Amino acid sequence: MTLRDYAIRYGFIVLLFGLVAYFAIAADGFVSPQSAVFIFQSVAITGVLALGVTATLVVGGFDLSIGSVATSAMMASAYVMVVLEQNAFVAVIVCLLIGAIVGLINGWLIVYMRVPDLLATLGMMFLLVGLQRIPTEGRSIATGMTMPDGSVANGKFSDAFLALGRHRFDFFIPNLIPVSVVVLLVLALLIWFFLEYTRFGRMMYAVGSNERAAELAGAPVKAYKIWAYIISGVFASIGGILLAARLGRGDIASGNNLLLDAVAAALIGYAVLGAAKPNAFGTAVGALFVGILLQGLTMMNAPYYTQDFVKGVVLVVALVFTFALSGRGRR
Amino acid sequence: MVGNAVFRVEGLRKSFGRNEVLGGISLELHSGEVTVLMGANGAGKSTLVKIISGVYERGGGAMTLAGQDFAPNTPAEAIRAGVVTVHQNINDGVVADLDVATNLTLDRLSGRGAPTIFNPARVRREAKAVADRMGLAIDLKARVSDLSLADRQMVAIARALAHQPKVLILDEPTSSLSSAEADRLFALVDRLRGQGVAILYISHRMSDIRRLADRIVSMRDGIVSGVFDSKPLDYEGAVNAMLGRKIHLDRIVARSSAKAVLTVEGLRIAQGARPISMTLGDGEVVAITGLVGVGKTALAETLFGVRKPFAGTMTMDGKPYAPRSAGDAIAAGVFLVAKDRATSGIVGGFNIERNISLPFLKRMSGLNVIKRRLERATARRQIEELGVVCRSEKDEMSALSGGNQQKVMVARWMAQDARLFVLDEPFQGVDISARRDIAAKLRASANGRATLLFVTEIDEALETADRILVMSEHTIVGEHRNADVDMDRLLAEVAGGPLHSAA
Amino acid sequence: MNITRRVLGKVALALAGASMLMQVPAFAADKPAPFDKPGVKIALVRYLSTGDFFQAYLSGVEAQSKALGIDLRVLDSRQDAALQSDMVDQAIALGVQGIIIQHGLTESMKDAAQRAVDAGIKVVAFDVNVENPKIPQIEQSDKDLARLALEQAVKDNGDSWNAGYVYVAGIAPLDRRNETWVDVKKQHSGIKEVAMFGTLDNPIANSVANQARSVLSAHPDINVMFAPYDEFAKGVKIAVDEAGLNKKIKIYSADISTSDISAMREPDSAWAATAATNPAVVGQVSVRALAQLLAGEDPGHNVIVPPTLITQKELIEKDIKNMEDLSAKLPQFAHADVAMPAWMPNPNAK
Repeated sequence: MTLRDYAIRYGFIVLLFGLVAYFAIAADGFVSPQSAVFIFQSVAITGVLALGVTATLVVGGFDLSIGSVATSAMMASAYVMVVLEQNAFVAVIVCLLIGAIVGLINGWLIVYMRVPDLLATLGMMFLLVGLQRIPTEGRSIATGMTMPDGSVANGKFSDAFLALGRHRFDFFIPNLIPVSVVVLLVLALLIWFFLEYTRFGRMMYAVGSNERAAELAGAPVKAYKIWAYIISGVFASIGGILLAARLGRGDIASGNNLLLDAVAAALIGYAVLGAAKPNAFGTAVGALFVGILLQGLTMMNAPYYTQDFVKGVVLVVALVFTFALSGRGRR
Repeated sequence: MVGNAVFRVEGLRKSFGRNEVLGGISLELHSGEVTVLMGANGAGKSTLVKIISGVYERGGGAMTLAGQDFAPNTPAEAIRAGVVTVHQNINDGVVADLDVATNLTLDRLSGRGAPTIFNPARVRREAKAVADRMGLAIDLKARVSDLSLADRQMVAIARALAHQPKVLILDEPTSSLSSAEADRLFALVDRLRGQGVAILYISHRMSDIRRLADRIVSMRDGIVSGVFDSKPLDYEGAVNAMLGRKIHLDRIVARSSAKAVLTVEGLRIAQGARPISMTLGDGEVVAITGLVGVGKTALAETLFGVRKPFAGTMTMDGKPYAPRSAGDAIAAGVFLVAKDRATSGIVGGFNIERNISLPFLKRMSGLNVIKRRLERATARRQIEELGVVCRSEKDEMSALSGGNQQKVMVARWMAQDARLFVLDEPFQGVDISARRDIAAKLRASANGRATLLFVTEIDEALETADRILVMSEHTIVGEHRNADVDMDRLLAEVAGGPLHSAA
Repeated sequence: MNITRRVLGKVALALAGASMLMQVPAFAADKPAPFDKPGVKIALVRYLSTGDFFQAYLSGVEAQSKALGIDLRVLDSRQDAALQSDMVDQAIALGVQGIIIQHGLTESMKDAAQRAVDAGIKVVAFDVNVENPKIPQIEQSDKDLARLALEQAVKDNGDSWNAGYVYVAGIAPLDRRNETWVDVKKQHSGIKEVAMFGTLDNPIANSVANQARSVLSAHPDINVMFAPYDEFAKGVKIAVDEAGLNKKIKIYSADISTSDISAMREPDSAWAATAATNPAVVGQVSVRALAQLLAGEDPGHNVIVPPTLITQKELIEKDIKNMEDLSAKLPQFAHADVAMPAWMPNPNAK
């Protein structure tokens, strides 16, 4: 391997460690188990979304609706528990169903209606941003809220559901690891294994790289594409569940920032280990990278706009790594 | 006639690196005449066209236009001088999002002296003049993207003719047209011929050639291999000159098969085509040959389940075979090495190993998890079997030569045992040694399956097959046992001779 | 004859209104023209509309409009400054008699407001300065909001503490609240701002929680968080809870909603107090000020809706669980005696 190969392969990881070292020196309290766990926690939700969007990137697609799927799932969980007074289990199932159905519709639009992926999911994004407001006429959902018809919603977020956002597992130190981090790690492992080791994942990569070749190798290309969007939708709805559990209410939001952060993480992931393609490990590292940056910058009192700026710089550098240096960027 | 050539090419040469593509081409075009240029893939036709139209610089030789030296440095110069080319890809000739009128006058909208203000009325007036001159009956306000391919082709040609050229080059203009659409094109060509334009018409299609040609020039391996201008034109001679006849180094010992694997009956692969019936036997290598566009790929895709036949039945090992997808075909043991590996075969993001395992992942997985060790072993075995030259099974496909890439594609489908192994143009863009390797491998492993090759080059068929079928106009018109092939009959069939002169 | 018909008409309308509203609008009371007849047309031209505050504001506007028999048109530009300006022109074209401009940018709304005034339409503006002497400015006093919350903070914690401050510059109400914070810091030298952070990435609470967690680990000495916007406060509370510092840190904020109330009422909640103006009341006041203008009265150039301090203690003692309880049990929160001439119907009166 030449020096250039090394730079492409390990450059980003080195950058990540450099960053950690810098913040360890520059920001007090950056190095601690709590701090590390917190970084994971802060990226858990966008990380889950990013893993989902990775699946659509793998088949050569894109999903702009994940942010609004997440916030819709958040609203739905709140609606199910607070207004319909159902338990946590029902709320979770409803959310996952919403994610799957939205994914299915996205996939159907793209595969059978031949709407370009960006446009189909953009439309879905707007649709969901509006739809989530309809049941409550644009109000956020919290226990004791007044419904449009004047009645008061008496249900509340069940403790089991809130535990998804607030419970912590012991890990050497008591009460260290939040549920959301465990969810992130489990999902990351799952999708990584799925994409790298199962024949379905392999075929999805083939579909993304050369659709016709995949079809002529016997792959049901349409089904794979639709499944990718279903995965993306379900992951986004899991992100929404974690969000609802953390906030403890159904918050009206477009989720655009979630979308942008998730996409950034997935794209940064292209550069990790010189993969030059969407991959689950890279996405997870990309999400962490952003999390570490924001944690460190906030600890150093950097205002929010510098954080956006730095995020952008990282993304651009990562894309240069991917497309220029490795010289095999395809998308 | 010889005296009044308006355009003359003499001793034109062109090399790319050490690879000589044109080895001294001489050609004459006469006013009011259609000269057909025939040549197999790689004969150097497109290089010649690109030199004439100013895309490439010539390597040697001379060109004259109406007695003047003609040496265009850019396509624009060639057009200005009066040599206009309509390229094969129609969409290169038109702007899809603009209307017909704007397309027809597009070249006047830019360049020096063009008015700054876009005047729709003037554009439409000028466009109408162009359209009338050509007898073009298309709504000038229609958007090009809404037009049929034939209409787009007409617009592209009309646009070219707006320059009032002396020489018009049409590069395979009917390759994506239906026969009714082609008729309109022919009428237009007749009209232009009447107006005294010298036309160079490049095509493989015998029906086009019969309809239009005043002269035929055949090219092979970068030289002119035959000029035919005495009426009636010797079409078979032209095909013959284009395909050539070489002495075969490896004489095939043709085998016969008793046991039928696939029986095809009454299969129609195109609207209005004659039905195809054939039987492929166990252990037999059959080659189907024919010119480009006669339906070879359509037949291959029909056998592989990605194209639906219009009529007919297929039987595999005595059972009905009607695949509805590539997946069905693979499950039934029918494998296809598709034509044009770059777009239909190679997965660019995958290395050799993963390209090989692609169709058989299901069989290489336990609980849907890929058995990587098995995958690697399979890849290594196949690389060994076909003699793919590479550093390891982890090499990227882009690192391989064309021949080795094709070997990987063949290796992919030979990793498992097929009942019917179909290869569509397996020797395209493959060097001679790789071609020999692949052919030898196919013959050596032929037992236990039927093997079917689709090749345009007759040599390739003669080198590999036990039996040769000839296709013309979407059906099979001849059959030859590869022992004492009657070359004259074979070439006549390829040229669509006596058997189908009416069709 | 004439009078009888008018009275009869009013009675009929009052009955119709009663069946709709379950309350008798005071049409019978002698109201000045044009409110002697129902059907006065006004428009609410909005810049911001998503979120509980704006929803509640709208409900206040609707309630007061109903009480006055006003035909209300709501035009919502959804944070599109140019569109909001166009919407004023739309409203003029609709032939409304009055316009309420709700939020927006001075630059884009100044001229639009002037056009409306030129067209003879009465205009009031809420939370956007349109720099026009003819247009009363409805304000919830952001300075008072911040002052009430900070006074409580000083009362609870003395005048010497380390503060974390959540602020995003460039947002008008936050800027005004910031002025108070700067003043308070000047007056109390013991108050130290150890960290300042903030973001408007949505969901805001989630993003602020992420930041606050970082700030808390960088500055373990913080004991007061001043988050003068309830979305900020919610985020800070999540971070404080996650860091297990809820007994050590107190949060002071501005604004209130039902979910804020439940967050403040949680056992050992760090959220000690908030100062809030009832957005519904602000909505009512906006309509009332406009009505006064239409009736030829002068509501004054600055119509200020006073805020209320709401402490955790009060919420628990009075068992206040949601906004309705809050209005019922804290009368100063339910109604502001602003822009209330004698003829004005009170939509809160039962």
